[in-house]
Amino acid sequence: MLTRRSLLKSAPLLSLAPTVPAFLMRTARAAGPKPDARALVVVQLDGGNDALNTVVPFADPDYAKLRPKLKLDPKGLVKLNDAVGLHPALKPLDKLWAGGRLAVLPGVGYPNPNRSHFESMAIWHTARFDNEEARTSPGWIGRALDAGGGESCVVAPDAPRAVRGRRASIVTLTRAEDLLLSDPVVVRAAVGAPTKEGDLLAFVRRQAADATAGAEQVAAKARNKSDAEYPATGLGQKLQLVARMLKAGFLTRVYYTSQSGYDTHAQQGFAHRQLLDEFAGAVSAFFADLAAAKLDDRVALVAFSEFGRTIKENGSLGTDHGTAGCVFVAGGGVKGGVRGTQPSLTVLVGGEPEMTTDFRAVYSAVLTDWLTLPADGLGGTVAPVKLFG
Amino acid sequence: MALKYWDVYEPDARAPWDLRRVVHLHRRAAFAAPWGTLQSDLKAGPEASVKRLLDGTRDAHSPADFAATAGVLADAAATAGDINRLKAAWFYRMLFGPDPVGERLTLAWHDHFATGYAKVRNVQSMRRQNELFRSHARARFAPLLNALVRDPALLEYLDAPANRKGHPNENLARELMELFTLGTGHYTEADVKEAARCLTGWGVEEGTFAESAPRHDSGAKTVLGKTGKWTGADLVDLLLKQPSTAERLVAKLVKTFFGEGACPPDAAKELAAGLRDHELDIGWAVLTVLRSRLFFADANLRTRVTAPPEFVAGAARALGLFDPAPSTLALADWSARMGQDLFDPPNVGGWPGGRAWVTSRALIARANYAAALVDGPNAGRSVAYEPNTAAKAAGFGTARTDVLVYHSRLLFGTDPPAALTGRLGKLDGRPLVTALLSSPEAQLG
Repeated sequence: MLTRRSLLKSAPLLSLAPTVPAFLMRTARAAGPKPDARALVVVQLDGGNDALNTVVPFADPDYAKLRPKLKLDPKGLVKLNDAVGLHPALKPLDKLWAGGRLAVLPGVGYPNPNRSHFESMAIWHTARFDNEEARTSPGWIGRALDAGGGESCVVAPDAPRAVRGRRASIVTLTRAEDLLLSDPVVVRAAVGAPTKEGDLLAFVRRQAADATAGAEQVAAKARNKSDAEYPATGLGQKLQLVARMLKAGFLTRVYYTSQSGYDTHAQQGFAHRQLLDEFAGAVSAFFADLAAAKLDDRVALVAFSEFGRTIKENGSLGTDHGTAGCVFVAGGGVKGGVRGTQPSLTVLVGGEPEMTTDFRAVYSAVLTDWLTLPADGLGGTVAPVKLFG
Repeated sequence: MALKYWDVYEPDARAPWDLRRVVHLHRRAAFAAPWGTLQSDLKAGPEASVKRLLDGTRDAHSPADFAATAGVLADAAATAGDINRLKAAWFYRMLFGPDPVGERLTLAWHDHFATGYAKVRNVQSMRRQNELFRSHARARFAPLLNALVRDPALLEYLDAPANRKGHPNENLARELMELFTLGTGHYTEADVKEAARCLTGWGVEEGTFAESAPRHDSGAKTVLGKTGKWTGADLVDLLLKQPSTAERLVAKLVKTFFGEGACPPDAAKELAAGLRDHELDIGWAVLTVLRSRLFFADANLRTRVTAPPEFVAGAARALGLFDPAPSTLALADWSARMGQDLFDPPNVGGWPGGRAWVTSRALIARANYAAALVDGPNAGRSVAYEPNTAAKAAGFGTARTDVLVYHSRLLFGTDPPAALTGRLGKLDGRPLVTALLSSPEAQLG
């Protein structure tokens, strides 16, 4: 039987010489020393997830006061302890929780929170707090991969700033077919070998060479279909594609995908339930699939949003842009439990709670303790939160 | 005010009016043009060529019944409630319309006032908004902004109907300041809250804009240091007067018409000052840009990544695929696979553009589209493109070298660079054209 390692070293790869592009070079290199390298899957919850109705402090009397209409009945919650429970729609995560493979972090944010979707997302993506810098600098994953090697794969139409590095190139796709060329011979001739110049044309050529090589790799491997059951939702399909790549032996370090719709300014009850339902269903199917393939110990999944929402509900049965939010970390290597402190609902700054965990402490743990990549790119030293066993 | 950076381009030995610049003008401002148009503009000179483009009243290949057909296509899409047909109706305009510059600006406004069908769920509203962008494409910014902040699709997208006295919803107020006018750094969180109060009572009733007095907060507000019992209309007037609004508009025009680093910051500042002097007249700014030496400077040639609709419509227009034309439904789908799904921007910030277009998925989609367009069926075209026939019709021979030279001049305005010729090896006929369109060079324009 072919192992990932022998597959990567087999003839089709070498036949691309003398113009083996960076995409395969890195993968082939990674295949040498670390055939069982760990992978990170980031799920970005777009729009600002309502943390207070996701990780619910049901025992706090202020919760019901702040949410007269939107409060959740404690009876329906997935209780994590005698103070905190998950939204009922997150019930499918129960199995991961019971197995000690789900960490729940309330109150994750950064100092002086910004309530613009774009600026706050840019801050989460770059771990840079100056406006101009957050808009232009490489992302936290991009920087780490620049320094430590490896590639990222984005399962979305566009690569987010988080994965952009100075040199690290990114594979993006939404369907496996998106990475297959209808006429590889013609395109390989048109693209030619990547060059080292720094101009725009050289950049396009490098990306095109990577794309061509990636297409060859997918053609060879994506035939290995997944049989596992996934919900027919957007996020379900995206995570199924990630699982397919993991099972096909891709040694991509970081997969990045997103689920949108969390900007619930009005009538949020039904919408928020549906969003969390999609999230929990997809994540639970993903880990069931990986466990069956004995890959779950190799994969950690992190879910975050650019901010939480106002703790007080607004007049249109919704919530507006808030500050700190909640983060989920799941996987075979994860040390489960509630990590960190639920933010106080009474000690407020600008009407909103203060963060209790700096998001860089989560990044730091993911980079150093999980991916064993340099974390200096986070800027400053932030001690990692204990997330991995 | 005399403009230092924006003097009118006049051909000279350093910057001659050659095929390279004719191709540049069309690819950058008008989705590219077929051989006949390039040749006639080469003869006519820059002044006449730019004037004809800006007139927007004729394009050699526009059918006589263009306006009627374009209207019927959009009507049918709205009646059927089918957003994909509305995307196709827009591609019909890009492919056949007499005013390609207007369509480029319509795309730019869609990016500026990005509104997503995924949330609006109303094809008729998206259609009306698209017509607003088109009819105001070169207008003063004041009527455009005033129309947009009262546009039902935009209001629904930004939750304006939920914003009422005592229960403000900040979504519209924030994006109005951050994205549509001032840009970040030119207002405070308190301004956003107060602006939201100004806009209370604005909503949508039966598909049209409606202002509700009982829902409006008529108290005093302080926005950007000015206090009064401001309404939504007052707020818009106030934002239009802020100097940073002109700067933001110029940034959008630079994104539309300039390549990387081709417009120095001082030139952008000067254009913003000029725009303020001309009451934010976008038509003036577009004319100033397209006639300028800066626009035709070497630094601006082939230094911009073409956006997906430009690449999709541009390739079909350059090859002259008008009869039979590719399926506009297919064109819209190809654009989506390259990363720009019309009426579905990634968020209210629009599409990032520039190098962000250059992802693996997008490049593979571009190469696959090139093959589909040349071969026919996968672009919804019943016949294949005939490179030899096309070369012959343009007065070239049909030997492999002639066909290569013709298509290289058509797409790049120059003979094929030696490196590209080497890479293409012995490719001939349709594969040769597919390769040219798939090359890294063809992604820039």
